[in-house]
Amino acid sequence: MTNLKNWQMPVFITFLLLGLLITVQFRSQQNYLRDLPQQKTEDLILMLKKTNTKKAELEKELGDLERQHRLISTNVSEEETLIKQLRQDITRQKMALGIIPVKGPGITVTIDTPIAYFDMIDIINELWNSQAEAIAINNHRVSSWSKIYWSEQTRALTIDGEAVAFPCTIKATGDPEKLDSGLHLSGGVLDNLDIYGINPKIKKEKELELHAANQPNIEHLKATPTP
Amino acid sequence: MWVPILGLVIGLVIGSVLNVPIPGAYAKYLSIAVLAALDSAFGGVKSIFDEKFNAAILLTGFFTNALLAALLAYLGDQLGVDLYLAAVFAFGVRLFQNLAIIRRELLSRWIDNRKIAKAKRDNHD
Repeated sequence: MTNLKNWQMPVFITFLLLGLLITVQFRSQQNYLRDLPQQKTEDLILMLKKTNTKKAELEKELGDLERQHRLISTNVSEEETLIKQLRQDITRQKMALGIIPVKGPGITVTIDTPIAYFDMIDIINELWNSQAEAIAINNHRVSSWSKIYWSEQTRALTIDGEAVAFPCTIKATGDPEKLDSGLHLSGGVLDNLDIYGINPKIKKEKELELHAANQPNIEHLKATPTP
Repeated sequence: MWVPILGLVIGLVIGSVLNVPIPGAYAKYLSIAVLAALDSAFGGVKSIFDEKFNAAILLTGFFTNALLAALLAYLGDQLGVDLYLAAVFAFGVRLFQNLAIIRRELLSRWIDNRKIAKAKRDNHD
């Protein structure tokens, strides 16, 4: 060995390259063995079993979640239906109270000459009696808290502090036939007015629009529990 | 003495750091090339002990043997003959022979060194 001094560099290079080759080959062989086709059948079966179990678990979870989703959706739609019903109820109550504008079939009663306040009350009462659903005098909505009286100060027929101008038009929604026949009852309010030569014109309408009344005063009211 | 081991360690480290990807289909040819390289490397070491070392023979043998082995294996695959087995056999047999010679040389040197040391100690006494 002593008489060969130049051996070290070539041997170093050779072994360096050898080490490089070995690591590269080692790595690629490890990757190759990790490939699915190189696995043992038993291992593959085990992997398949595990994957199948996992799949079954996930499918079960999916089913549970879908059921939950359906349940929640049903609840939501039930709530939505409830809210819709409540809104409809509120609208119906408001229409009945007269605090929102309404429209519908009915009749108009046009009176050219001034009449007494009790005659006006008689007409309104007769209309309510004939199952009128909403009434307005000269576009002033008649509500359950409306006052119809003779004002001494303005010397005018007054409703809720507003003088009624003549010719006056009374609008009433409901069944036009019923309302008409209610007013035309013999010995009724029209017959009574006829004595004084007052003949209101009655016209059936397919659609009437009525304004809203003012908000009612409910400062001291409290609801009693319904049985 | 430590030069081959140092080279091998540095080569292993470089190979681990570089991480060269080899497609699975070529892993077989690379394995034959590695075997040929192993044979050449140990042949080189043996020639040092035999005092017949030649750098040109070592380096050309290292590359040509590795390339030829891989090419032969590839050709064998194309022809349907397991030529790589011939390479495995030839290189494998020679690798073991070389390793045996290296082992024997190292052993005899170690024994000689001990004898010399003992003789020196005896002389001192």
